[in-house]
Amino acid sequence: MHSLGRAAFAAMMIVGAGTAKAQITTFVASPPRKNEPAQQAAAQQREKAAQDSVARVAMTGMKEWVDSASAALAIRPDTTPTAADTALGTPRAATAPPPKSDSSANARASERQPEFRNGARAPNTATPIPMIALAGVVLIVIGMTTKRRERSASVRVRR
Amino acid sequence: MNGRLAERVFHGRRAASSALIVCGALLLIVSATSVARGAIARGAARARWAEIEAERAVAGAKLSTGGARWSEARGTPVARLTIPRLRVDEVVVEGVGDAELKAGPGHMIGSALPGDSGTSVISAHRDRHFHPLAGIAIGDTVVTESAHGTVVWKVTRMRVVKAEDSGLDARATPTLMLTTCWPIRYLGPAPERLIVEAVPK
Repeated sequence: MHSLGRAAFAAMMIVGAGTAKAQITTFVASPPRKNEPAQQAAAQQREKAAQDSVARVAMTGMKEWVDSASAALAIRPDTTPTAADTALGTPRAATAPPPKSDSSANARASERQPEFRNGARAPNTATPIPMIALAGVVLIVIGMTTKRRERSASVRVRR
Repeated sequence: MNGRLAERVFHGRRAASSALIVCGALLLIVSATSVARGAIARGAARARWAEIEAERAVAGAKLSTGGARWSEARGTPVARLTIPRLRVDEVVVEGVGDAELKAGPGHMIGSALPGDSGTSVISAHRDRHFHPLAGIAIGDTVVTESAHGTVVWKVTRMRVVKAEDSGLDARATPTLMLTTCWPIRYLGPAPERLIVEAVPK
């Protein structure tokens, strides 16, 4: 009986300890499930940031390499004309965009501008400027004539 | 009472005539400003062309001109056009948009540069740079300078087409097409286009 009691006590201790341990382990080890997506997102962000910084380092390295290569070309004393030299000698106009034009302006211009293809229409090259100038002259002439008439009429009335 | 009414009418007419004069002056200012801006843009294009020629002379190399590269550089001088008999001497800029045509004749994007194989299309305003084209005749000489060198052209054909008609053909051989609105000496909208065709001499 005594041994039975001991065995029962031992069994209770083992089961109880196991249960208690499980409770404690559950509480400590597994965090609430609600936090998991947030942590994953944070981890992804950290990873992305790390990749970006790696890419930036690589670009910087390329720039240095290009700079050093061009410097080497520029100071080479006895070089015969090569493709690289021709490119260096190319006037800016061939490569540089025109001043005072941004990309959005270019996009708008490309929408407006006709481009050549077989059977294309000739572009519209008429401007309203002569008409505007003519209208201005006509308005001024009418205005001055009216003013003169009014002036002469008022002089007549005064007499 | 009649005197007051007459005075009011007099003042009203006076104000109306003043308003007409002011409006007319504004319209004149607008047109003069546009012409002045065009002249400034033309001067800038000429200066840029001179700079390009100087750079070419210094570099001793011809421009490498892929069509795609040039097509991106709108407003950039690409050629010089001369018609000696008509005393036309203009710097041709890339593109035929409003801004480009203010500066000078425009090279139509997608067409060949003068001297390259294919059709080269150059357009300009009838009341500005191509106004002298009213006097052009078959057999006239046109000279172009571009990245492809200097080419002397001979006018072989002149035709007037409707604005909505297709008038520009793509050809394999070097062809220069100068276009402007027709009639040249006319105010108002242009219902037709003048196309002058030239081939290398």
